Amino acid sequence: MTIFSSPGFRAGAREGFRAFLPLSVGLIPWALVTGMSMVGIGMTPVQAMGMNVIVFAGTAQLGTLPLIAAGAPLWLIVATALALNLRFLIFSAAIAQGFRGLANGPRWLSGHLLTDGVFATCVTKMMETEDKDWRLGYYLAPSIWSWLLWQGFALVGVLAAGSIPRGWSLEFMATIALMVLLIPMAKMRPMLVAAATGGLTAVLLNGLPLKLGLFAGIFAGIGAGLAADHWHTKGARA
Amino acid sequence: MNAYDATIWGVFILIGLATTLPRASFIVLGSRVTLPSVVQRALRYAPAAALAAIVVPDVLLVSGELAPLNPKLAAAGAAIGAALISRNPWLPFIAGMGVLLGLKQFLA
Repeated sequence: MTIFSSPGFRAGAREGFRAFLPLSVGLIPWALVTGMSMVGIGMTPVQAMGMNVIVFAGTAQLGTLPLIAAGAPLWLIVATALALNLRFLIFSAAIAQGFRGLANGPRWLSGHLLTDGVFATCVTKMMETEDKDWRLGYYLAPSIWSWLLWQGFALVGVLAAGSIPRGWSLEFMATIALMVLLIPMAKMRPMLVAAATGGLTAVLLNGLPLKLGLFAGIFAGIGAGLAADHWHTKGARA
Repeated sequence: MNAYDATIWGVFILIGLATTLPRASFIVLGSRVTLPSVVQRALRYAPAAALAAIVVPDVLLVSGELAPLNPKLAAAGAAIGAALISRNPWLPFIAGMGVLLGLKQFLA
């Protein structure tokens, strides 16, 4: 535990927290909506908070809820979660240098806590700084703050959802949340092509058993996105 | 829920692994391994494709049939419109749920 009490760690933690604090407010509606959606598909409060602690990822939680509710096969639920989380491979690769010199324990903890907002806040500063304790503090303070906000406001959502009648279709909150996540992505042309192809394929193949249409949609979307990207860069060069 | 009542905790753990492993991957492995650029580019499109593949059938189909006039599609339109014109993070939810519940009330 010595690293967490070193002056470098504390200084880094203070600065990281200050840099992230304004951004962190954006987590609140997501946590509330995720809490409500989990109860919306019929989870008990204990199950909902269990999922929230174990998974700790808004997109993967919201994205798998409709599949869990529909009783989709387990492999498809896991494959969908993986597809939604693949961006973290890129984030993880991009920020890995920031953990140079640190032991495996803090690395696993940091990996588990990696989120989009913390990545965006920390990646540049962590590359530039020499002191490894400072870097870990700068990363972990916003990460732990995110975790606390996420659990706290999800719990508020879970408890609030319990007092809302079933007829209110709270499960649709998850669909709205996923659309709102999709909008900024779809502003880039190849990404829009990927989304349109994925969505259309899933609709056309919706008759397939085991929700295989979803799986086909993900693959078709990735392929179409790559193809559009290829044309796009070719067009830009010409 | 029904199908997963007994095994729900196992499902959570698997989804958790499918989240933590990609996140921890390179942070734990360090810079010993790098991704080829084609793979990096392909991975960029996975979230958009997956999100659309989940959402689009949900708002376009009613019990497996194309239903262009269903309340969920109108609600989706309202939510997207709200997200495009405003930076308020609550508005898409208020607009979408408002239209959905309003239309359901009206059609009932």
